[in-house]
Amino acid sequence: MKMSKYSKRLVTSLCLGLLLVVGIAGCGTSSQSGTSAGEPYKITIMTDSFNTDHTDAATSPVLKALDKYTNTSINIQWVPNSSYTDKMNITLASGNMPTVMLITDKTSSFVNAAKSGAFWDLTPYLKDYPNLSKSNPIVLNNSSIDGKTYGIYRARPLGRLAIVYRKDWLQNVGLQEPKTIDDFYNMLVAFKTKDPNKDGKGGTYGMVVTKYTGPWDIMQSWFGVPNKWGLDKNGKLIPAQLTPEYLDAVKFFRKLYQQQLINQDFAVMDPTKWNDPVTNNQAGVIVDVADRANGWVKANPNMQVAILGSVTGPKGLRTPATSGYAGFYVIPKQSVKTEADLKKVLAFLDKLNDKPAQELVSNGVLGVNYNVQDGAAVPVKDKDPDTNDLNQLLMYIPDSLATKTAQTPTSNLVTDIEKANEQIVVSNPAEPLLSNTYATKGTQLDNILDDARVKYIVGQIDDAGLQTAIDLWHKSGGDDYIKEINDAYAKVKHN
Amino acid sequence: MQKVQEYNPEWPSVRPVAKNKKVLAKLSKDKWLYVLLLPGALYFLVFKYLPMWGVLIAFQNYQPFLGFFGSQWIGIGNFKDFFINPDFFRLLNNTLILSLYNIFLFFPAPIVLALLLNEVRKTFYKRTVQTLIYVPHFMSMVIVVSITYVFFTIDGGFVTQLVEQLTGHKIDFLTSLSWFRPLIVLQTIWKETGWGTILFLAALAGVDAQLYEAAIVDGAGRWRQLWHITLPSIRSTIVILFILRMGSALDNGFEQIYLMTNSLNRQVADVFDTYVYFVGITQGSFSYSTAVGLFKAVIGVILIFGSNYLAKKSGESGLF
Repeated sequence: MKMSKYSKRLVTSLCLGLLLVVGIAGCGTSSQSGTSAGEPYKITIMTDSFNTDHTDAATSPVLKALDKYTNTSINIQWVPNSSYTDKMNITLASGNMPTVMLITDKTSSFVNAAKSGAFWDLTPYLKDYPNLSKSNPIVLNNSSIDGKTYGIYRARPLGRLAIVYRKDWLQNVGLQEPKTIDDFYNMLVAFKTKDPNKDGKGGTYGMVVTKYTGPWDIMQSWFGVPNKWGLDKNGKLIPAQLTPEYLDAVKFFRKLYQQQLINQDFAVMDPTKWNDPVTNNQAGVIVDVADRANGWVKANPNMQVAILGSVTGPKGLRTPATSGYAGFYVIPKQSVKTEADLKKVLAFLDKLNDKPAQELVSNGVLGVNYNVQDGAAVPVKDKDPDTNDLNQLLMYIPDSLATKTAQTPTSNLVTDIEKANEQIVVSNPAEPLLSNTYATKGTQLDNILDDARVKYIVGQIDDAGLQTAIDLWHKSGGDDYIKEINDAYAKVKHN
Repeated sequence: MQKVQEYNPEWPSVRPVAKNKKVLAKLSKDKWLYVLLLPGALYFLVFKYLPMWGVLIAFQNYQPFLGFFGSQWIGIGNFKDFFINPDFFRLLNNTLILSLYNIFLFFPAPIVLALLLNEVRKTFYKRTVQTLIYVPHFMSMVIVVSITYVFFTIDGGFVTQLVEQLTGHKIDFLTSLSWFRPLIVLQTIWKETGWGTILFLAALAGVDAQLYEAAIVDGAGRWRQLWHITLPSIRSTIVILFILRMGSALDNGFEQIYLMTNSLNRQVADVFDTYVYFVGITQGSFSYSTAVGLFKAVIGVILIFGSNYLAKKSGESGLF
C-alpha cells in the first residue's frame, strides 16, 4: 500500500520532469539556413509592436505579397515596445540573433557589441542602393557610432514636439491663442478657474502631465534651456540641468504645481492614461508629440483641437528637436555571414522603401485589406491583424510614399505644425556622441536629475536641495560624463 | 575499489564483497526506481547545476559578443566597484529595513491567523474562511499594486479621502518616503497571510488531542492551553519557516517594488533586486549585476546557516 502510493508519486513527478526536458529541448531548434541565389532569402526581423495580434507569417496575405516583391521569406519576431530594450539586451547577450534587428537605444551592451564587430558596418555600402543612398546626413550622423553607420534608421519628423490644447475651451474662456509663456500660463489658469467645459461645476485643471519626463524637457526649452546638451560661454558642452535658465524653468513648473494647474498625482500617473483627463473633459492641454491631437479627436469627435509649435520665451520661439529617428535596423554578422548575404539583406531593406512595398506594409493588399476612395486609403477593418504594427518595419527613406488614410483637418494641422516646427527646433549637439560612463551608469545619472526635478516641482526640496542633487550627479559619474562628451565633441570638430 | 582487490590477511576478503553485493543487491532490487529517477536527476544537473557556472561572469568583464571564453577576467573588480559605490549603503539599508519590516510585521501574521482559525469550532465556518483567505495569493502583484493605486491616490483615492476627513490632513501615500515601506508590507500581508496559514494549520492539526484533554482536566484555560500546548507543538514548524525566510531576507520581491517605485520615493525604494534589473538588463552591465546578485546570494546562504546554527543551539532540530 505504502509502496504503491510512493511509486505513484514518483512516476508523476518523473513524467513532469521528462515533459520539461522534452519541452525545453524542443524550443532550442534553430531556423536559420543558407539559400542559393535564386531562392527567396530567409529573413528574420526583430522589431517592436504596440498591438498583440499579428497574422502569422505563413498565412498573412500582406507578408506573402511582400515576400514576392522582395524575393525573401520574411519572419517577424514581435516584441512589445514597452519591454523592447530589455529584450534587445537579452538577445545581444544570448548570441542568438535575427537577420535584422531593431536597436532602439544605444545601450552599453549594443555599443560594446558594435565596437567589437558584432554588426556589419554599413557605411561603405549605403551609396549602392537607390533609396538608402538618399538617407538624411544629419539623422545618419545622429544614429551613428564613432562615425560609423551600423544601422538603417527609421525616420521620424524632427519638429514633432508641440503644445496640443482644446480650442473650444479656449473660446469658452474668451482667450486668444497663446503667444508667450505668460499667455500659456494664463490659459492654464483660465482652464482651472473659468469653467471651460461650461458644466457649471469646477474640477477642471489646465494641463495633464505623467511620470514620463518628456513634457518638462519640452517646456524648459521655451525658457532657453538647451536640448539635453548646450554650449557654455567657453564653448564647452554642458548638460541642460547646469544652465542658469534651467532654474527659471523648474521654478515655473513648481508654480504650475502649487497652483494646481497640473494634475497633483503626475509623479505616479501612468503615461498610457495620459489622454483620459482630456477626453473626459477634465483638462485641456498636453505638451508632447503633435500627433496626440489625432487621438483626442478620434476619442471624442466633437472636440475642437488646436496645436501650437511653441510659445515665445526669453530666447524666442524654441522647441527641442527629436533625434529624427526612432531606432535603427542593424545586421548582425552572426546571422549574416558573408558579404553576398549582406547585400541581399541590404537590397531587401532598400526595397522596403519602394512605393509598392511601403504601400503593402502601411495599408496591406489592395482589395483585401484596404480600398482607395478619392485618393485616400480606406481600411477594410479597424485594427487589421494583417497590417497591425507592420509599419514599424518602415524606414521612410527618403520619404513616406504610401497612400494615406483620409486626411482630417486635425491630421493636416499636425503635418503643418511639424513642418513649421523644423524652423524653430533646437537640436542636441551631443546626439551622436558616446560616453562610456553614460553607457554604464546612464539610468542612475538620469534618475538623479529627473527625480530632483520632480521633487523640486512638488516642493519636496528647495533650491539648496536641487543643488545637492546636482552635486551628487557630478560625484556619481557626471563629471566623467561631461569630460567624455567634450572629448568626443572635440574629436568630431577636428575631423 | 583498489583496496578490495588487494589481498590483506587481516581483512576477511568476504566482507567487502558482501558489502558490495549488498549495495548491488539493493540497486538491482530497486533498479526501476533508479532508472525512473534518472531523468529527474538529469534535469537538475542540466538545467539547475550547469547554468550555475554562468555565475563566473561576475569575475569577468563579460561582453556578449565575445562570449564567456573570449571575455576578459578581471577578478574581484566588479565587487570592489560595487562596495565603493555610493549607492551600496543606500541599497543595503533599504533592503535590510524592508526585510526587517517583513520579518517583524508579516512573518507573525499567518501564525496569529492560524491560531485564531484553530480556535474556531464550527467546521463549516472555518473551512469557508480558510478558502476565502487563500484567494488574494492567486492575484498577480500587478493587480495588487493597481488596487493600491486606486485606494491611495491623492486624486480622490478612498483611503486618502477617509484620512483627510478624519485628520484634516491630505497625505500623499504613493509618493511619500515614510509610507513606502508600510504600504509594501501591507500589500504583502494582504496578499500572503492567508496562504501562509496552510503549513501552520497542518502543524496544528497534528497536535495530540490528549494533551488538551489532560490540560483541561488539570484546569487549564484557553490561554494556558495555547501557551503551554499549542505554541510549543508548532514551534519547530515556526523555526524552520523562519530559517527559510532568513535565506530570502534580501529578496524583496522585484515586481512589487518595481511597480511601487516613482521619482519621489526612489530614495527608499531602490533595493538590490531592482538595482540588478536596472544595471543588468536595462544598461547591459551583465558582469556587474551578476556580481551584485552573487553577493546577495552569499548573504542569503550565510543567513540560512547562521539562523540554522542558532536554532540548533537553542535545542531545535533546524533544517539540516
